[in-house]
Amino acid sequence: MTGILEMENQLYVKIEARAEMILLRPLDLFVRNLVQQLPGLSSSEDLIDNVELAFNEAFTNVSKHAYKSNQKGPVCIEIFVQNNYLEIRLEDHGESFDPNAIADPDFQNLGEGGLGIWFMRHFMDDWIYQSDQHGKNVLRLIKKIPCEETTLAVDQP
Amino acid sequence: MDVQRKDGVVVISIDERLDALAAPKLKETVKKMSEESSTKLVIDLAKTKFIDSSGCGALVASLRTLLKNQGDLKIARPSPQAQTLFQLTRLHRVFEIYDNLDAAIQSFV
Repeated sequence: MTGILEMENQLYVKIEARAEMILLRPLDLFVRNLVQQLPGLSSSEDLIDNVELAFNEAFTNVSKHAYKSNQKGPVCIEIFVQNNYLEIRLEDHGESFDPNAIADPDFQNLGEGGLGIWFMRHFMDDWIYQSDQHGKNVLRLIKKIPCEETTLAVDQP
Repeated sequence: MDVQRKDGVVVISIDERLDALAAPKLKETVKKMSEESSTKLVIDLAKTKFIDSSGCGALVASLRTLLKNQGDLKIARPSPQAQTLFQLTRLHRVFEIYDNLDAAIQSFV
């Protein structure tokens, strides 16, 4: 983890690592525990499950599909929370894909794969994937936090 | 993952997470079982708090493997999170799902 920056009503976390599958569960639980503390999400087990699942699918995709070989490349995970907005961003430098070419799963005859991206799209309010010509792929998972008391419990200096 | 036999039925109890790390082991175990004999299998999800797309895929693959070899698979005690995914993906129509482990086992008898 390279840093946590907390400002009034705002939270930013950045984690840089190699996209090793061994990190999947520790990172999932980190995201879950963080989201559990957010006002507006903390009382909804469903919403917490949904954000955890979306992150899990995103990280798994980077580790297994962007970096197909055993030699995993870097992933940068950023989590940004402000007011009623949560964004989880994953940046990798592996193989990209065309999100428009990913068809919805055939639920009448479900196969073994193909659900991960559908879950991310279904459970988050926004799912944005972009690749640039320098080989950088960025996935943004966005969730609007239901309106409640949204002041983050951040210790003041 | 724990494997036991009861009344001629194999019960696989899945650990807390059925994710991309756990899914290959489940598929491999079921494949080996079904190669040896036609297997009546109950997947017990009582301890499983979290399932992802790989976990769902492993359940689908396991069912297909068993059906090919005259076996079958039923699911017992899914968590609310698993039930949500099964309903969304319509897997609740593919699998027989039981709230009770004994009922799942007895369904084979």
